[in-house]
Amino acid sequence: MPISRRVFVKSGGIALVSLGLDPLFLARAAWRLDRPARPTSGDSPILVCLFQRGAVDGLSLVVPHGDSRYYAERPRIAVPGSDVVDLDGYFGLHPRLAPLKPLWDNKSLAVVHAVGSPDPTRSHFDAQDYMETGTPGRKATSDGWLNRYCQHAREHVDTPFRAVAFGPQLPRILAGSAPSLALESLQAFGVRAEGAAPDRLTQAFAQLYAGTATGLLASSSDQAFAAVQELRAADPTQYAPEHGADYPRSPLGRALLQIAQLIKAGVGLELAFADVTGWDTHVNQGASDGQLATRIGDFAQALAAFAQDLGEKLRDVVVLTMSEFGRTIRENGTGGTDHGHATAMFALGGSVNGGRVLGRWPGLDPAYRFEGRDLAVTTDFRDLFGEILARHLGASNLSAVFPSFTPDPSRFPGVIAG
Amino acid sequence: MAIVTFAGAPSRGASRHDIPPFTPRDSALHALDRLAYGPRPGDLDRVVRLGVMRWIDQQLDPGTIDDRALRERVGQLDVLRYDRGDLAGIFVAAQEERRSRKQDTAAATMDPAGRAGPDERAARRLAGQFQDLVVVRAVLSERQLAEVMADFWANHFNVFLGKAADRFLLPDYIEHVIRPHALGHFSDLLLATAQSPAMLFYLDNWESVAASFAPRQGNGRAGQRPRPRGINENYARELLELHTLGVDGGYTQQDVINVARILTGWSIDRPRQGGDFVFRARAHDWDEKVVMGVTYPAGHGQDEGIRLLRWLAVQPATIHHVGSELCQLFVNDEPPDGCVDDATAAWRRTDGDIREVVRAIVHGLDFWAAANVRAKVKTPLQFVVSALRALGADPDTTPRLARVVARLGEPLYLHVAPDGYRETQEDWVNGGALLARMTVAVALSRGDLPGASVNLDALLPATPDYAQLVAAVDTAMLAGTMSENTRRVIDEQVRDVTDPVMARELAVGLALGGPEFQRR
Repeated sequence: MPISRRVFVKSGGIALVSLGLDPLFLARAAWRLDRPARPTSGDSPILVCLFQRGAVDGLSLVVPHGDSRYYAERPRIAVPGSDVVDLDGYFGLHPRLAPLKPLWDNKSLAVVHAVGSPDPTRSHFDAQDYMETGTPGRKATSDGWLNRYCQHAREHVDTPFRAVAFGPQLPRILAGSAPSLALESLQAFGVRAEGAAPDRLTQAFAQLYAGTATGLLASSSDQAFAAVQELRAADPTQYAPEHGADYPRSPLGRALLQIAQLIKAGVGLELAFADVTGWDTHVNQGASDGQLATRIGDFAQALAAFAQDLGEKLRDVVVLTMSEFGRTIRENGTGGTDHGHATAMFALGGSVNGGRVLGRWPGLDPAYRFEGRDLAVTTDFRDLFGEILARHLGASNLSAVFPSFTPDPSRFPGVIAG
Repeated sequence: MAIVTFAGAPSRGASRHDIPPFTPRDSALHALDRLAYGPRPGDLDRVVRLGVMRWIDQQLDPGTIDDRALRERVGQLDVLRYDRGDLAGIFVAAQEERRSRKQDTAAATMDPAGRAGPDERAARRLAGQFQDLVVVRAVLSERQLAEVMADFWANHFNVFLGKAADRFLLPDYIEHVIRPHALGHFSDLLLATAQSPAMLFYLDNWESVAASFAPRQGNGRAGQRPRPRGINENYARELLELHTLGVDGGYTQQDVINVARILTGWSIDRPRQGGDFVFRARAHDWDEKVVMGVTYPAGHGQDEGIRLLRWLAVQPATIHHVGSELCQLFVNDEPPDGCVDDATAAWRRTDGDIREVVRAIVHGLDFWAAANVRAKVKTPLQFVVSALRALGADPDTTPRLARVVARLGEPLYLHVAPDGYRETQEDWVNGGALLARMTVAVALSRGDLPGASVNLDALLPATPDYAQLVAAVDTAMLAGTMSENTRRVIDEQVRDVTDPVMARELAVGLALGGPEFQRR
């Protein structure tokens, strides 16, 4: 049988003639030789960031039901004390967050309240920008803090799946020079063509790029095709959640299901990101039921399913929620709330100091409100994010991740145990 | 294993005597790749016949180029026939429709779009139409350089279509501020953007009032935005940082504040009706200010803002900043010093005549240097448009092609931050995005790309002689830049395909999705 000569050229300019071997295999093998061996899954910490876009009402997520001012300010939309899932006699979870109560009870879930940005903007996109770039007040920052973490964390495993965002475009939080991947869906990732054989097409393109591409085109395409191969091995079409986990059929449910899948596939995922939209409740917010409650319910179900699905592996994972700011303490004239300042964020995972409401609660007294109307920020989000990077992921250079900010462990909210 | 050294295209690091001489066709391709969105069938021959430098001169004077075909195509588009007021009416109605829809829903569904009413649908259609217009113009216009410059300035002076009133303020901004000044004097363009309702709204300057300003009535009705209080620094900061001096331009936070004070009162008349620029004297800070050592005496109104803008337009930092960006657009992601020198010299000589700055750049040595030829990677917009042009494809006026560009990472006019989309490859060359481009290339080659109609017969006969097919794809699609490796891979792929029509599709799809076509 004639030896099939498939010639391809790596970027070093040297061609390797493979003797009948699939060139992609060889490409991966050669690529693998350059990189340190991946540790077995379960050893490396993982951070999953969920951005609640639109400014989520922290006071509805973690309700200060012990404070009469809450009820005075929100005659129509306050969550009744009898409906909340009480946490400590003062705070309670929104009733639709009940699926998360077991995680609170087993100390995997913590709340950080009154957290947010030092910048006073109430512009959604400015504030989201600041929270994703990690430089509140500065718009010219081109990269995101998660990407800067990747740039500066020297010790890491080289894999195309190190940092993955679920969505059509790479979010600003992951923008930057360190490689990261944006996927809409694991099943659809790759070269798609109706009716054609995607594998064959993908292979053909892989050979084109391996042989001709240079520079960033070469390294990115390398990453892309390696990722496609890895995914094929992980077989996304056959994935079944474990331990009875039942993800809701929503964008967040789908994203978390796939993140769990990637974690279990042991592809070296370190950072994952997904957006959750629809929190900008200016009108007809509802209370125990209604618009906001429905979204909160989906959010809780998806997170609970994720934790359940991961099982033991939750030990290595921290899920961090964030939102660009909170909402007004007082309800507005249309049954909703307007843009506020501080909000509540959740941390869920094995290394979390759970079963606590962390941060320094400023109270609802008008004297302590931001600009006389909003919940004040008492924890800068960079201290929260910094703590997680340092104590969960082991980051050592926080000032590179958050320029013009001096991280100080004494200001960490204490969200990571140990 | 044998080791074979690889000689081939110049970008592969071959020695100097292996680089083929720069033929007129090469020059034409380079010019079409940089000053236009790539060649259409026959363009290379036309430009060679005319002479590359003459073609460039023509492009630098778009008014002399007949663009009838494009004008007819876009003339009927609603979004161009409505003015700001008309569009405002539609969008405000859409907003109210959306609000009442949300209020009516007792238990909201998970789908925020829900069932949109007629006003919402109209608003969405217009927004989509306006985005698609970018693609249609870029593909069909004979005034290619004008389109390239319009895209450049739309990013340099970025406005985000998604921000409330900008949904209806943006079309006018692009049509009457950006496009007409794209090859004019920079200071005229700068002033026009500063006074445009779109920019004033986007960067909040319309609400920026002197610290001493006392609003006429109380805090507004419940549910309304609170009355503005004090200066808003957004526009002032971006004016200095992004539009003119650049981040290292030497200004301080105090300068930003004082610029903001100078621009207090620069506002919009009746924004919800799509109103015009208005200077509100009551909101203006009439005290003295100092900006970067220059004193603006007390008692001046709108004129001090104009004075400031004219001063910013001629600062060396501005000239260097914007000149470098133009070199980045035309020559290399890392703008070469020689190019920047040429650009800044031309700027000074002509008082910021952008046409002459571009002329100096493309006449400069760096533009034609081998190291800079095919050194850039196409943005998603450039990729989609150049693919359509290469195939002689016809874009329709539905928003579907704009969605394709969005899926590749560049939703048009939807860059949230004021810095606009970048020219540099780091932003676009991402594993997922590259795979998406390959998918688009394959769909386009099969005539399956929504929004475009393709007729390969007109371009490449379906021949059973596959060697000829691949050679024809090289000439027609890749302008002769196909590498040996690509030729071999495509050869192997089509070898097993019995149907010549399918073989042709495959060859074209691989060529357009491959590495050569990503470069310009």
